[in-house]
Amino acid sequence: MPAEEPKTGQTLSLLAHCGFDDLEKVLAQLDEVSKTYPDFEDNLPIFQSVANPDQALTALNHLLSEHPEQVMAAKKDKVSLARLLRLLGASQALADFLYRHPQNITKFKAEPVLPNLESMKHNFQNGAPTQGSYQERLRSLRVSYRQLLLQITIWDLEQEKPLEGLGLVAKALSDLASAALEQGLDLARWELVHTKTHGQFQIAEVKATRIAIIGMGKGGAGELNYISDVDVIFVAESSNENLPRDRMLDIATKLATRMMRAMDQADSEPALWQVDANLRPEGKSGALVRTLESHLSYYAKWAENWEFQALLKARPLAGDVPLGFEYLQAVQPLVWASSKRENFVESVQRMRERVSENIPVEEVDRQIKLGPGGLRDVEFTVQLLQLVHGRSDESVRAADTLTAIRQLVNGGYISRVDGKEFSEHYSFLRLLEHRIQLMQLRRTHLMPADSTLLRALARSIDPNWSQDQLLARWHEVKKSVRQLHQRIFYRPLLAAVAATDGGLVLQRDQINDRLAAIGFQNPIGAIQHIEALTSGLSRRAQIQRQLLPVLLEWFGRGTDPDTALVAFRRLSENLGESHWYLRMLRDSSGAAERLTTALSNSKLASQMLEVIPEAAAWLEDSKTLQPRTRAELDQEARSIGERHSDLTQFATLVRAIRRRETLRLALGAILDEFDFLTLAKGLTELSEWYLAVLAEKVDHQITDVSLLKIGIVAMGRFGGGELSFGSDADVMFVYDVVDNSRRDEAQSQAEKVVIELRNLAKDNQLEFDIDLDLRPEGKNGAIVRSIDSYSSYYSRWGDLWENQALLRARVIFGDNQLKTSFEALADRYRYPSEFTHKDIVEIRRVKARVENERLPQGADPNRHLKLGRGSLSDVEWLVQLLQLRYGTSHPEIRTPHTLEGISQLVQAGFLQSYDARVLEESWKFCSRVRSAMVLWSGKKSDILPTDRRQLEAISRLLGYASGSASEFEQEYLAKTRRARMVFERVFFA
Amino acid sequence: MDKQRDFVLRTIEERNVQFVRLWFTDVAGTLKSVAIAPAEIENAFAEGIGFDGSAIEGLARSYESDMLAHPDPATFQILPWRSETDPTARMFCDISTPDGVPAAADPRNVLRRALAKAAKMGFSFYTHPEIEFYLLKSAEIGPEGPIPVDKAGYFDNVPGETAHDFRRRAVSMLEQLGISVEFSHHEGGPGQNEIDLRYADALTTADNIMTFRTVIKEVAMEQGVYATFMPKPFTEHPGSGMHTHMSLFEGDTNAFFDGSGEYHLSKTGKSFIAGLLRHAPEITAVTNQYVNSYKRLWGGGEAPSFVCWGHNNRSALIRVPLYKPTKSQSSRIEYRAIDSAANPYLSYALILAAGLKGIEEGYELPAETEDNVWKLTDSERRAMGIQPLPTSLDHAIRKLEESELAAETLGEHVFSYVLANKRAEWNAYRSQVTPFELKTNLEIL
Repeated sequence: MPAEEPKTGQTLSLLAHCGFDDLEKVLAQLDEVSKTYPDFEDNLPIFQSVANPDQALTALNHLLSEHPEQVMAAKKDKVSLARLLRLLGASQALADFLYRHPQNITKFKAEPVLPNLESMKHNFQNGAPTQGSYQERLRSLRVSYRQLLLQITIWDLEQEKPLEGLGLVAKALSDLASAALEQGLDLARWELVHTKTHGQFQIAEVKATRIAIIGMGKGGAGELNYISDVDVIFVAESSNENLPRDRMLDIATKLATRMMRAMDQADSEPALWQVDANLRPEGKSGALVRTLESHLSYYAKWAENWEFQALLKARPLAGDVPLGFEYLQAVQPLVWASSKRENFVESVQRMRERVSENIPVEEVDRQIKLGPGGLRDVEFTVQLLQLVHGRSDESVRAADTLTAIRQLVNGGYISRVDGKEFSEHYSFLRLLEHRIQLMQLRRTHLMPADSTLLRALARSIDPNWSQDQLLARWHEVKKSVRQLHQRIFYRPLLAAVAATDGGLVLQRDQINDRLAAIGFQNPIGAIQHIEALTSGLSRRAQIQRQLLPVLLEWFGRGTDPDTALVAFRRLSENLGESHWYLRMLRDSSGAAERLTTALSNSKLASQMLEVIPEAAAWLEDSKTLQPRTRAELDQEARSIGERHSDLTQFATLVRAIRRRETLRLALGAILDEFDFLTLAKGLTELSEWYLAVLAEKVDHQITDVSLLKIGIVAMGRFGGGELSFGSDADVMFVYDVVDNSRRDEAQSQAEKVVIELRNLAKDNQLEFDIDLDLRPEGKNGAIVRSIDSYSSYYSRWGDLWENQALLRARVIFGDNQLKTSFEALADRYRYPSEFTHKDIVEIRRVKARVENERLPQGADPNRHLKLGRGSLSDVEWLVQLLQLRYGTSHPEIRTPHTLEGISQLVQAGFLQSYDARVLEESWKFCSRVRSAMVLWSGKKSDILPTDRRQLEAISRLLGYASGSASEFEQEYLAKTRRARMVFERVFFA
Repeated sequence: MDKQRDFVLRTIEERNVQFVRLWFTDVAGTLKSVAIAPAEIENAFAEGIGFDGSAIEGLARSYESDMLAHPDPATFQILPWRSETDPTARMFCDISTPDGVPAAADPRNVLRRALAKAAKMGFSFYTHPEIEFYLLKSAEIGPEGPIPVDKAGYFDNVPGETAHDFRRRAVSMLEQLGISVEFSHHEGGPGQNEIDLRYADALTTADNIMTFRTVIKEVAMEQGVYATFMPKPFTEHPGSGMHTHMSLFEGDTNAFFDGSGEYHLSKTGKSFIAGLLRHAPEITAVTNQYVNSYKRLWGGGEAPSFVCWGHNNRSALIRVPLYKPTKSQSSRIEYRAIDSAANPYLSYALILAAGLKGIEEGYELPAETEDNVWKLTDSERRAMGIQPLPTSLDHAIRKLEESELAAETLGEHVFSYVLANKRAEWNAYRSQVTPFELKTNLEIL
């Protein structure tokens, strides 16, 4: 058609103007359309308001080719054509429905209205065939559903301000679900009576079965999406005394199951959605249907806090409505009683953990519902405020989010400005969700990845929007939602600031309620610290005013927000206006968050940060939280040594480094930067370095090298490379005589060196205990001996336990010759050529004796981490006994390291692998607990506390979820009990 | 909850209650009672009543002696044996630490935890005990041992007998306390009686058993006789057991019932039995907790000494009673080892845990034993794979020590305490020189 050709150029730009994308293809389709629909081009401007014009045109073409008469019937009516095209461009799934059921094309004629519940029920009933098979009835139910859905969608798409209509649409969708459930129930009744597939049932008994469907979640709150699971609970009672409860329950359960199948089983008319009954008592494993009494006895006895929170949104949806209300009346008081329970704080923490957990990484950036700034964030904030303030204020207990926000504003818990913004954001996110779901009627909460779909989504919200505009707006909203949680819940806690800012001013007791809900034990004290931190005109105060709401939230995640807030205040006063600190707080939110974690979970870290405030800077970069290597430390010591020849000054600086590095290890451990074996290695190497550096300097200044060479031997857990926070450093001092003619002089000089070294190593600010108790003759022995003296002592007087102690002896300072000769000496005794039965008995006896003697008076052996039942020393003694017995013949089991020892003993066949696993688990657990205890309390202790708050705090450092104190305690007791059983069996066998 | 509390406060006013006894149970199963004035009740509901837990056997670790008793308003009852002029009521309590956490060592809490675990699997646990006890003329021991009130036997109806009046009075008192009695009759031994309580959830049953023991002792006192729950007071007469019928419900339906199964037992029911059989030896130190308990278990007669099950086999450890066709709800099994002196909270918790383990792990139910196992020879029993229950408290302790199931169910604290307590009892017993030794040894040696 050559005459048409010149038009093409113009037509294409016209098409582009109308919003079409694949212009060539559209042109071809328009040709096709005009075959049945002459002059269709006149309608092109309509496409400007269509979300996906290409899709709409394709669908129209499809409809025309199959059902031309239905489409052409509306030909003259531009308004209804526009409605049709908007729908076709917004929902592929509903276009398919029209294609299956073209008679519905007439629906576009009428002025759109949102149907109400009653009219929907009528529609379902009128649609249902009076005669017909189950399949026909099922299809009619679904077709009726989609007709009504179509009606709602047409209304929705006609709104000029879709955000404002959102609440009404969500309500209509919920009513539609109710009506569908009702009809599904009717169908199930019909099925039970008229078919034999599910058993034989009389009309009368089915009628006498009262069953109510209670909506939970969004369905219950009247705020459903276009497509989502409908959460329900079933209650049933018999209305007739002649119908026994068993029979009634059997019928009710069948009704429920069949109703659910009517919604979701496969058929030529596709399924509607899943009915999810998993919020019922006992969850998935519980009975599907229960009597009212059975529900109540469950809630009275077994329900957990979150189950009560779920009941916040319960409402009867279908079935026997009076029964549904009876249920509601009975359970509602329980919801508010639950927030008075003792562990409310922990259950809030759990709630928060649920908000952020389980998002697949690849979805994080596309999630509308979960993740930071998602719908769940809004819902969490609203529910939290309802639970905190709804206890005493009944006016804020609405089930749906938008009404709840309004109520919270009216009640004075959210400022008007924030409330308005919050509602708008929530509506925007919901609208996104609606439009995305509408496309395919699929349950999804993800932004499309495909750019065509993104463009359509943008246009469905605003026909003038591009994909980039949509994304920009979405990111803006997400960011704002994230901040709103802090602004709405936490900002008003800064009472004075809020007052001067013109923000929301809460009552004192309302502030207390909120602070208590996030875990502050002493809200009044907290308020004072907050005031101190935020008052004044300094830059610091300004930044803190901005930052404190989020810091408070983070403090609330730890175990001791009160202490953390005080520590933060001190730190802030210490660091004052220092440039990097303010910058760190302001710019690097990661660092500030880590800081709050450290402060609110560890007294050790809080105390040390007070001394070394500049360590806060490490939090900006996790690399700086890794243990320093020995080479780095040596380098630092060398340059100090070059600058300072004075011993005292040198030692002062070395001590400061040890404190600094201990803090680094502490922070790394709290923030989970490395595992506990790395920590043990880090602490061991730090202590080795500390002693070696000081010893070298002392040696250099005092020792006459022509007379003697000094060495240090690490023993015990130090020797094993297994130090934890709070371990002593067990050592022995040794020297090699160079000039044999001056032995006495050498001894006295060696003693002088050791005394000087011990003095220098002492640190009042961070204890360093050199423990010499493992040396020959224990506390009464000489503090240092020559190799020869050790040799003659061990050969003449050495007790078995002293030989045993040598198993973990490791020379950490001294020249190679000294090292070799000491180790050769040690080998003679720790791996003796003969280890007799008498020796074995002796070791066992000593162990049995020390169990009683060394335990502190009154201590519960079950809770002593070192000397208790099945704890560290049980495991170590067992390993050592086996090493003493078999080390000579099996060199591979020789090692000072306990864990390595265990695995070598298994390989060599001296230990069963089950036993080894039990021992290893207990040993590791005890070691970790011991470190965690020191981190938490800042104090050394070997006894597992009984106080629940302490246990909770320790368990958190070990990575347990909040509220796991008892679980942790049980685990400790169980692991050590099992280890003790193995110990008794193997050690005494 | 609040409704029940209000009911209690109202009743105290209306009935002019003078004292309220707060009841709880120690780890050994002894009832403890604190009386408080009505004025303190409201506070007791709100905050609990403080007491020194270290004075109660096994309840608290010595270093954390402060405990709180929280009365459970659902258990409020006026005690029928107190005079009308001085009405006294009682409530059972849950025990917590001062920071509001359930006390690890409160037996009621142990059972609650076990029931909560069952609830997670979708089950609730119902029990129905048949409690046997002896009526003696007094607590004093005669030259031939204790002196029973009569010489009657099983189901005997002796006109004008003490036991008859006794049972009538006791049953009426129990009913006044809201405890329904199913059945009561004279048992096999002289002065021995049995009273069966109606089905209830296990926690209620355990509370009821504790109340029952008090009622029986009170009525005996009233009638000038003495009642004992000692497992085996007479060498020559049967011991006092507490056979317990039990079933699991899923919501409102009986999970043990399956119309098509053998004896109408469902797969769940079979696995439950299998679990209970497998773990029976390791929980015996709790269900049969005294040295004397083993005299009953190994005293012959119908005592369930061997681990086996049967349908109407009166010598089996677990009996599956005859099924009544119209009552699918009444499907149940009967565990026959437990005796009348057991701590019902701990015993039911362990029995439930053993059964649930069977369900969780899908244990296979061994074949039914149709013979009277007592009549078989040791070798026959061995050939059939029938294990004995522990033969003494010592033996039972050693089985318990190795039980992960018991440690987990009781909680580590109660577990250690029970072991220590029972070891002490065994050691004290072992050091005795008994009349038996004197009789058989003294004259000839």
